[in-house]
Amino acid sequence: MLSIKNLQVSVDEKPILKGLNLEVKAGEIHAIMGPNGSGKSTLAHVLSGREGYRVDAGSAHYKGLDLLEMAPEIRAREGMFLAFQYPIEIPGVNNTSFLKKALNEVRKHRGEEELDAIDFLSLIKKQMNLVEMKEDLLKRPVNQGFSGGEKKRNEILQMAVLNPTLAILDETDSGLDIDALRIVAGGVNKLRTPENAFVIITHYQRLLDYIVPDFVHVLSDGQIIKSGTKELAYELEERGYDWLLEDSEKV
Amino acid sequence: MAQLTNNFSDWLNQRVDTESSFAFSEAVRSPSLSKLAGGIFPTRKDEEWRYTPLGPVLDSSPGKDSASELDIDFISNLKQAVPTGHTIIFINGDYSEKYSDDPLSLDDTGLSITHLTQLKGPALKMAEDIIVHSNLTDDNIFQHISLGLSQAGLFIHVEKNAASKTPIHIIHISTAHSATSFTNPVNVVRLENNSHLKIVEQYASPGDSAVITVPANYIQLEDGAGLEYYRIGIENAETQHVCNTSVKVGASASFTSHQYLLGSNLTRSNLEVSFSGPGAEAVLRGVYLGDDNQHLDVRTYLDHAHPHCSSDQHFRGILNGHSRGVFNGLVLVREHAQKTDAQQSNKNLLLSRDARVDAKPQLEIFADDVKCAHGATVGELDSDALFYLQSRGIDKKDARLMLTRAFAAEVTQEIGIESLQTYVKGKIATSLDEIVSPRV
Repeated sequence: MLSIKNLQVSVDEKPILKGLNLEVKAGEIHAIMGPNGSGKSTLAHVLSGREGYRVDAGSAHYKGLDLLEMAPEIRAREGMFLAFQYPIEIPGVNNTSFLKKALNEVRKHRGEEELDAIDFLSLIKKQMNLVEMKEDLLKRPVNQGFSGGEKKRNEILQMAVLNPTLAILDETDSGLDIDALRIVAGGVNKLRTPENAFVIITHYQRLLDYIVPDFVHVLSDGQIIKSGTKELAYELEERGYDWLLEDSEKV
Repeated sequence: MAQLTNNFSDWLNQRVDTESSFAFSEAVRSPSLSKLAGGIFPTRKDEEWRYTPLGPVLDSSPGKDSASELDIDFISNLKQAVPTGHTIIFINGDYSEKYSDDPLSLDDTGLSITHLTQLKGPALKMAEDIIVHSNLTDDNIFQHISLGLSQAGLFIHVEKNAASKTPIHIIHISTAHSATSFTNPVNVVRLENNSHLKIVEQYASPGDSAVITVPANYIQLEDGAGLEYYRIGIENAETQHVCNTSVKVGASASFTSHQYLLGSNLTRSNLEVSFSGPGAEAVLRGVYLGDDNQHLDVRTYLDHAHPHCSSDQHFRGILNGHSRGVFNGLVLVREHAQKTDAQQSNKNLLLSRDARVDAKPQLEIFADDVKCAHGATVGELDSDALFYLQSRGIDKKDARLMLTRAFAAEVTQEIGIESLQTYVKGKIATSLDEIVSPRV
């Protein structure tokens, strides 16, 4: 589903990703862990098409399509979803009409009929239970005045409504208390199917208590230096990152 | 500063002799006519006119021209703004009996609407008293055009404790075949103690008629009265519009004003509000939306002369093409106006490199126990918000459109007449549809 080969990316002439390789197949959950500044968020941004990143070498293919050539909205319509580390507040844009517009753009692209207001509302009410979100947040402008936890739940709600094939969660767990973490993780677990895949970028192991990954990768200085199963995450929790960094320097 | 000779001034002075049936008495007219005879128009050396060139007005010499035949659809579209309102239509300054609602259909007790030219005796004196005691200064030459030469307008009077359910919807349509058409309507509004009213004023000019409009509004709200006053300008690109509005707000009275400058080549809207008793409030809202070479200038002057009054101003500009916006707002808090709460906010969105805005929010505070804040911003669309929308499948053009509409909606959502809110949002959306495109 996602195939990244030797990806090299720089920001303001400074290399951040230095030859990253990653293969994600349908039905899999991948966790990408790593210390601050290792390039985790850059990877999420490049995959979602944010401006300000220069791809110097390598490739990224999604469902066989050249991802790096696609506009951000096309990536989304093709079933990619990025849950933002810092969701943006958009004053004046109503949360419900925003979501309805987004969903209908995606549906149009898939050749499906657009949902009218009534069908959309019944869909969204169902998905809101999934993330235990208060209904009045739907009437408010997108993320405006939301607490940190509410913003993250709103991200998961959008994910549930758009029903992506590949979801990238960029430090969705940061700043969440344990209840919010449980709700966010519960949302992911319920959305998981053999047809879709998740890439979970996180600094801490604790989210992985709730979402069990198939693979754990350690990103350091722009490269994946070690891959393993969920046991690797526990080892990182216990021993930190330093032993790995030293190991990789020896190699 | 003087700009002594110009076509427009000459033309105005000829009009003193060639026209008749002026609205006001000699006592009101003659000082204004002397001012007009002096022919002193402001130039850009005057601080108040620094950002706005009057050339398009002063170079023109309006002609006598019969009104073009009006398209009925054009009129019914304008009426859509307030279908439940009592509609009064002026075409080139003349009351149109044909298109206006029957005055007899308006049976709100305590509300009377009279054409200025029909005012006599005590009623005329009442209207002229409001004019004479207005906030507009003697050197405001445009109000003298209204007072000296006006031949049309309304006196709207609500008796004490009366609350009119029906919004008054005044539509000014200016149209001409070839020559420039000129109108200078005057509205005088008096709300007695604890009375309430909504007024919607709309200015329109169809096709490419060249138009000069110089309206003036004199509003007096007595103690505890409440007025919602909306001005919607959707004139064509050949229209020059210079408007003055004076509002006196009595003790515990409430004045809410919305201005939407969505058309014209040049609009200058001057709104001067003063509190004449304690505990009063003024809420001023507005959006100016410019494209091509439009020049849209909003000036507000708020005089806090009494304690415990609040004013809240929020104006937003959206400027595209080579258009230019001006917001010049002065809040004056006098020495004894303690416990004043004065807020002023002006935000501008520039959609093109050549668009420009001059924002000049000003606070002058002479009291020491007050809560005042003001601020102005000029910026582009938030690139993070744009990306966020795109990352959810919305293309860049639609995302820009959504954010620009939302920028205006922060003001328009406060419009207190549902049909009018829909109408204004629709007008803004239509204009934005045409001008918002991905920046290359």
